[in-house]
Amino acid sequence: MTYTPFTQWMITTGVPQQVLELLLAVMIVATIVSIARYIIGSKTYGIYAPIILAIAYSYTGLKYGLAITLIVILTTLLSYTILRKVRMHYIARIAVNYCLLSIMLVVFFIVIGQFGFGLDNMSNISGLAAISIAALSDFFIKQYVKKSFKSSVLILSSTVLIATLGWFVITRDVITVYFLNNLWIVPILIVLNILIGQFTGLRIKDLFRFKSVIQNKEKDNVQK
Amino acid sequence: MFRNRIKDVLGLNRRNQEYVRPYNHPKAKALADNKIATKKLLAREGINTSEVYKLIKNRKQLAFLDWESLPKSFVIKPNQGTGGNGILVLYGRKKGELAWIRPGGEVLSKKDLALHIENILEGRFSMGERSDIAIIEERVRTDSFLKQYSYKGVPDIRIICFNLVPIMAMMRIPTKRSNGTANLHSGAICTGIDIATGITTYSMHMNSRSLLSDTYEMIDNTQDLKINKKLSGVQIPDWDKILDIAVRCQKASKLGYTGVDIALDADKGPIVFELNARPGLGIQVANQAGLRWRLEKVKGLEVKSIKHGIRVAKNLFGGEVEDSIEAISGRKVININEKITLYYKSYKEGSKNDNKDREITTAFVDTGMITSRISRSYASRSGYFETMRQFDFLKCPKEFPTFKDAQDYIDEYSKNSQPDGHIIRLAKIFEDGQIVVRPVIIIKIKVSGEVLDLEMIVTEDTTHSVILGRNDLKDYLIDTSKTFK
Repeated sequence: MTYTPFTQWMITTGVPQQVLELLLAVMIVATIVSIARYIIGSKTYGIYAPIILAIAYSYTGLKYGLAITLIVILTTLLSYTILRKVRMHYIARIAVNYCLLSIMLVVFFIVIGQFGFGLDNMSNISGLAAISIAALSDFFIKQYVKKSFKSSVLILSSTVLIATLGWFVITRDVITVYFLNNLWIVPILIVLNILIGQFTGLRIKDLFRFKSVIQNKEKDNVQK
Repeated sequence: MFRNRIKDVLGLNRRNQEYVRPYNHPKAKALADNKIATKKLLAREGINTSEVYKLIKNRKQLAFLDWESLPKSFVIKPNQGTGGNGILVLYGRKKGELAWIRPGGEVLSKKDLALHIENILEGRFSMGERSDIAIIEERVRTDSFLKQYSYKGVPDIRIICFNLVPIMAMMRIPTKRSNGTANLHSGAICTGIDIATGITTYSMHMNSRSLLSDTYEMIDNTQDLKINKKLSGVQIPDWDKILDIAVRCQKASKLGYTGVDIALDADKGPIVFELNARPGLGIQVANQAGLRWRLEKVKGLEVKSIKHGIRVAKNLFGGEVEDSIEAISGRKVININEKITLYYKSYKEGSKNDNKDREITTAFVDTGMITSRISRSYASRSGYFETMRQFDFLKCPKEFPTFKDAQDYIDEYSKNSQPDGHIIRLAKIFEDGQIVVRPVIIIKIKVSGEVLDLEMIVTEDTTHSVILGRNDLKDYLIDTSKTFK
């Protein structure tokens, strides 16, 4: 593949191409998360979780990534429900959760290896990617403990959804190559994020939330 | 007048960018997030907060806690908790044991409580990851009036204050679904409160089925009490005091934009629960009104004193309560002295000079009278001069010794006379200590936007030129709070 002289120069000067692609992916997903939060109003577990998830999916493939995510969340819920009855400290509880999680992932790999279920080639999956997905567990429990189960599930689904969107964007070769060849987009992304940072309008979610107030046209008119 | 309602509503982005960040200094925010510091500050200002029994700062203090010294009922909370998490309410102590009972009936032993406190100390319920302090404090005993609306817990009143002006208020009422907490997300009811009067307006309940966004449904009764109560039109006790406390809290805390949470204690009256540096926006739904235009009206206003701020709020933002009562009961609200339009006899709808044929005057609402009345000079002015002359020709006696005599006279009159002219009948009334007979005519007036033909007794001139009596008040609710305006 041929790149523009600037990109070519960077690659030959010691920036590994893979790292360059990854960093670009980080910027793109970060921007997607920022748009999702301030324009649409959908919350995620911070900005790190969706970025790492999107990149992990790009390593595992979406199907496998989502399957691992599902296993992670189900195991977390199970272990949390069981452990809730036991009196113990918080970090120790999370540690037990991670142990159970690791066991379940191994079991999952074995089961898939034996029976397939349409998911073969699990052996090629990068361990680091799987662990990155497992980190979701911590975010999930924290939200569950501090807020509520419902809010945690809600934020989880929007995190996964946005990560999937991010995965879709960063795995399109057209987009990646275009970005690599047009690095001037990077400052544009910064400017875009600064603009989003200044945005004071209603988020799309606000529109739904305050629908009744917005539709209620007659009131308040008298007073002004 | 059509206005863009979207521009009235305050969204999260704007709240953070234009109100929380510029008006709430980090120091003030830190104070609001710290319940102990808030309590200390408010105590200096002479504002009541719930009494602290014990502070537990570390595990050592927990180990040495004298459980026996704790009262029967108390509350354990994290000092820097968010969104009501980690708050444990204990209703009573189990007899002869070191165990306490939660509102739901669950019994917690000393060990359970110690574990909960340990969790608080570890910062599990607190902002960020820091360790925290556990507060053991007095349980607020809800004012008996508000208690009847709430399932177990304590209803609290949230008032958003900005620039020393109370902007908007709501009450959060615990329900069975919310398990006795005043948290809207767990199913508590939120009820808008009219700033001017402290009367509740609309009530909302978060839709439990909806998953994607917070949607509310409008309700008008409590949801799961044994006897469900109507939620609108409830007068919050001590309203002016509550407004005063809210604004004083804002002033003391130096938060430019804040939400003050106040509960009504049965003995102590209004008690401040906490100050919020980032108050939520759901209050707009409860009041069916936008925060943004209210905030913009008050922005930059030079508010001289707390009293001034409250007056500004009452004048600018009051009055929702009438709309809401009208919407719910289908009846209009009128004042004791209500502005009406009096149409003259010569008035014809759509005629060019119709401004000359009517006048605006004040009617006095008197529920002690049955038929409405109009003074003689007004009747004459409205074009019934001749009619009055006609009545004079009857040479009706100036007064009657008894009502029976008056009735006899009226019966005699209706037998003999032909229904002609504008006098539709005669009526016996009590005027200036005398029983008299007066003519009744039909007068066209407009009350609260509605044109009515009313039967009115023409009386001698008194202080009130037009009096509306019971017969004509069936479709109205009377607001007595604006008598002298």
